[in-house]
Amino acid sequence: MKWVKQYEETIIPVIALLLSLTVAGIVIALLGNNPFAVFANLLRGSGILPKLRYAGGKSMLTDLCSFLNYWTPMIFAALGVAVALKAGLFNIAISGQMLVAGFTSSVIVGYSSIQSVIAKPLVLLISIVAGGAVGALIGWLKYRFNINEVVSSIMLNYILQYIVAFFISMYYVDPISRQSRAVSDESRLTLANVEFGGYRYDIPLGMIVALFAIAGVQFVCKKTTLGYELGAVGLNRKAARYAGINVGRTMLLAMFISGALAGLAGATYYLGYFASIQPKVLAAMGYDSIAVALLGNSNPIGILFASFLISVIGKGSTYMSSTSGLDAELSSVIISLILLFSACKVYIRHSINKATDKRKARVEK
Amino acid sequence: MSEYIVEMRNITKRFPGIVANDDVTIQIKKGEVYALLGENGAGKSTLMSMLFGMYEPDVGEIYVRGNREIISSPSYATSLYIGMVHQHFKLVSNYTIAENIIMGIEPMKRFLGLLPYVDIKSANEEIARLSSEYGLEVDPTKRICDVPVSVQQRVEILKMLYRDADILIFDEPTAVLTPQEIEFLLKIIEGLKKAGKTVILITHKLEEIKKVADRCAILNRGKVIDVMDVRNTSTAEMASKMVGREISSERKKAGARYGEEVLVVQHLTVKDDNGFDIVKNVSLCVRQGEIVAVAGVAGNGQVELADAIAGFKKVSSGKIVLNGKEIANKTIRGRIQSGISYIPEDRQSYGLVLDFSLAENLVLKKYNQEPYARKGIRNQQEVELFSERLQKNYDIRSARGNQTIVRSMSGGNQQKAIIAREVEQDSSLIIFVQPTRGLDVGAIHNIHNQILAERDKGKAILLVSLELDEVMALADTIAVMYNGQILTCEDATSLSIDEVGQYMMGVVNI
Repeated sequence: MKWVKQYEETIIPVIALLLSLTVAGIVIALLGNNPFAVFANLLRGSGILPKLRYAGGKSMLTDLCSFLNYWTPMIFAALGVAVALKAGLFNIAISGQMLVAGFTSSVIVGYSSIQSVIAKPLVLLISIVAGGAVGALIGWLKYRFNINEVVSSIMLNYILQYIVAFFISMYYVDPISRQSRAVSDESRLTLANVEFGGYRYDIPLGMIVALFAIAGVQFVCKKTTLGYELGAVGLNRKAARYAGINVGRTMLLAMFISGALAGLAGATYYLGYFASIQPKVLAAMGYDSIAVALLGNSNPIGILFASFLISVIGKGSTYMSSTSGLDAELSSVIISLILLFSACKVYIRHSINKATDKRKARVEK
Repeated sequence: MSEYIVEMRNITKRFPGIVANDDVTIQIKKGEVYALLGENGAGKSTLMSMLFGMYEPDVGEIYVRGNREIISSPSYATSLYIGMVHQHFKLVSNYTIAENIIMGIEPMKRFLGLLPYVDIKSANEEIARLSSEYGLEVDPTKRICDVPVSVQQRVEILKMLYRDADILIFDEPTAVLTPQEIEFLLKIIEGLKKAGKTVILITHKLEEIKKVADRCAILNRGKVIDVMDVRNTSTAEMASKMVGREISSERKKAGARYGEEVLVVQHLTVKDDNGFDIVKNVSLCVRQGEIVAVAGVAGNGQVELADAIAGFKKVSSGKIVLNGKEIANKTIRGRIQSGISYIPEDRQSYGLVLDFSLAENLVLKKYNQEPYARKGIRNQQEVELFSERLQKNYDIRSARGNQTIVRSMSGGNQQKAIIAREVEQDSSLIIFVQPTRGLDVGAIHNIHNQILAERDKGKAILLVSLELDEVMALADTIAVMYNGQILTCEDATSLSIDEVGQYMMGVVNI
């Protein structure tokens, strides 16, 4: 049973996942559906399994591309949560940071006529700065006035939501869709409606950046002095201070990086998956990303898998709803169950330890 | 009915990586003071935690008053009239003493026969009666936050008595007390014994055992080595059994050779968190090859003095000069780099990141320096080599070497790791605050030798200690702090232990 201990970090989330899918399956069965068919429809909706029929110009690959576009911001957002968690901070303002980043880059680049080669990197840069600035503000409030970051995050979310809604409604609204005007194709991080072999695809350029971000966060956490400082501050602030680490600066930096990643999530969400912003609505993804980070154990590789899973459930919900005849909200139920069970991590670990101890005792006898 | 009130037979308890108790059998007679003696990590506290229901043994049986019991929780232990005073008290600080004591078993009355309320008046009377019966001198109406630690401890004793406990377990009760308070506590324990209570005393202080205990079980590495009749055994004999080797209490200390002045503190004043002066106008000097010990009763500003020098507390006025340079305005890291090593009093919350690995903790102050990191990129291989070298040179023992999570290590080895790291800094000044607190005789001996070795290498050493024996054994110069001021600063040879003790109590005119 030694291997159980060794791979505990992987086994626990998997157990949590299996438990939540089992409970979700029971819920689906109680609603009178076959749980396996529902799960398969979620996969079909995300372009991972083939559908029975496709509309003209669409294929499984089209669905997969669309799924990748949806998945990309989730990766960034969850990485943002994880970086803050590493330093012992809880960044709940991911949604707000996404919104600000999406809005500023829409206004500055999206509604201009800048060429694609400059526009796309500029969108990324502006999103990093805008999201990072909001994160740093929360970090600064914590550092300077010792304001709990959870409280300031929640309040900032509301403030930002309404400020952005005000400007969209006043200056940038599309009178028909009641959303912000669509950004230019040059500035979008998704190449929309690319034709190839008779089918149309939305090519997710942001996905490439997301993979780099995973590698980058992994590298920073494991290999750099900054990662060491984040970890020390997160695990024991007093000892970090004793070691000569500037705790306030480290927390501020962690919140900046967290916000910057959330900003990239905003860019790939509002100027990628979508091309416009719906006013007065915060992206649910900002909150789902907390579940993803917890499920992925705040580890970049874990987040890659966890975000894939949550995105499949989120993205596949529409197709699942239309084919299985269940409400699309069922995916929120499944995601909540996953969050619930991954919050029981400590209990699962405790049970594993108990089981292995018992086994050990029996073997020794 | 068996002769013994408590019997623990063939107890084995394992934790990941260690066997805390290995086939331990102890038998305790009614009405005796039974001491458990052993080094840190010998398994004393674990054994008693099982008697008090905080853990369950993996193997073995517990008999209380001749009946086999499975003690699954502290509340079950309480129902068997077993009580325990923990090392860290479990009290609500803004409740009164009486409220703390009755919590959970409040005496109730009904107003007009209907509305229930807590009958605090009768509780106060009952507690005052118990307090005077056992000579505890506790006022039940005072609040916990307003009374000193020694009184809080007596509140814990009252808590057990109020619940009619007659098997009383004390876990390292004297670790937090001053010499006078220890005397008082030992008297209380004698009183409890006279009243027919059975007392189990966990300690590693031999003098206390000699004074109050009837029998004493010696534990070493989870096993019972011997059970001795205290009256017929010398402390030297107990000490050698406890560590498994002979210990010479006489230490050869080479004559001091002082070099240049390393640390000069002038007219230093430091405020505490409430804005009161906790260190008042203190001047002090430490030279190369000199151990300056700051003695004093806890809470007289010694720790704040050390904190101010290391940069944890702001200086409100005065100068701190290290090797000729003013450092009072430098950051903590600036001071580390100018040559200050610091062994903090609270090793678990300041000295270590408990959830980091041993290797990461050993490099805590060097993680950003070459060769352990270059341009912000860490070099894991160098870190591990460094960590392995320290573990070997300083005999730091752990279950999984570099990868051991420090939380799982014993207190003694945690302290070894801190001292290894700080000594390896090769700083010109090393500050030790309570370096041997809570450690056993063997570990204390090693740490004292290390401190002396550093002194002989020409390091300047500032030692803050509440243990008078430690001060007398190590110091070249003794400074006694009382109420934030240094009352005297003299060569150690010109002060007797009694004189130092009197200065500690604030008696100035000797």
